[in-house]
Amino acid sequence: MTLVLIVGFLIDIPFIPILEETARNLFLHVPMWMTMSVMFLMGVIFSIRYLAGNDLDMDRKASAATMIGVLFGICGLITGSLWSRFTWGTWWTFAEPKINLSTLAMLIYVGYFILRSTFDDEIKRARIAAVFNIFAATTIPFLLYIIPRQLPSLHPGADGNPAFSEITAPELRIIFYPAVIGFIGLAFWLYDITLRSSRVEHAIKLRNLEL
Amino acid sequence: MILNLLLTIMLFFNVQTDTLTQAYSDKWDGTAQDEGAFVDFMTSNDMIFVVLGVSLIIWFVLLFFITRTEKKLAIIEASLKNLK
Repeated sequence: MTLVLIVGFLIDIPFIPILEETARNLFLHVPMWMTMSVMFLMGVIFSIRYLAGNDLDMDRKASAATMIGVLFGICGLITGSLWSRFTWGTWWTFAEPKINLSTLAMLIYVGYFILRSTFDDEIKRARIAAVFNIFAATTIPFLLYIIPRQLPSLHPGADGNPAFSEITAPELRIIFYPAVIGFIGLAFWLYDITLRSSRVEHAIKLRNLEL
Repeated sequence: MILNLLLTIMLFFNVQTDTLTQAYSDKWDGTAQDEGAFVDFMTSNDMIFVVLGVSLIIWFVLLFFITRTEKKLAIIEASLKNLK
């Protein structure tokens, strides 16, 4: 995993100059959303496994994965805003479905953490959070993929715009795919750190109760 | 004569909307707009600084998260010391 990370970032350095320089944002902005989707997918799988087995560690895993997903989602939103300022001419537009629906998705997931913070009882929190996470994850494909494709949008792949496979130059792909793998690797690493710290936190809480 | 005068008066009041016969303003020549030093800087060198900005955003958000985790770990460490 570390190797993938290092390779991903080393390959990022020899940039290929292409048309406009902002095309390079493809290696940064797009992998954010892919990483986010992978993390949310992991989160919902852990949530389902929690509900199936009542293993509290699964709940911690789901929470850690979802947190990293939100982190990358926020990165994607802010980078998209900066990019659109200089290519579309505005920081934010309500005519663009992908921007607003992805913000909505972020807010749903922020709701997941607010919901978690309202419970003191661990088992109750884990169960309700898992159910909410399944609901949140089912909205993601609709909010980020299906609805934006039906509406006019400046993003690629929407109504009237060619999709990724038709417009992306092969030179960009050489860097793009390792960048996606690299960012997902980075996300796994962050997920692992978050998970381990929450496990230690839990172990200390248990020890405090015993003493 | 009176009609002409009336037309002139009407035209006078409508002069701001009558852009078919007259130019509304001379400021439409070109699209050059002075939007400040920040935009000038960002659009220089084929907008490469936008890419820099995007990578800096990712870096700082991740850095923020790592510092947050580090603070959490510091709390855990402190509670471990209390136990021993």
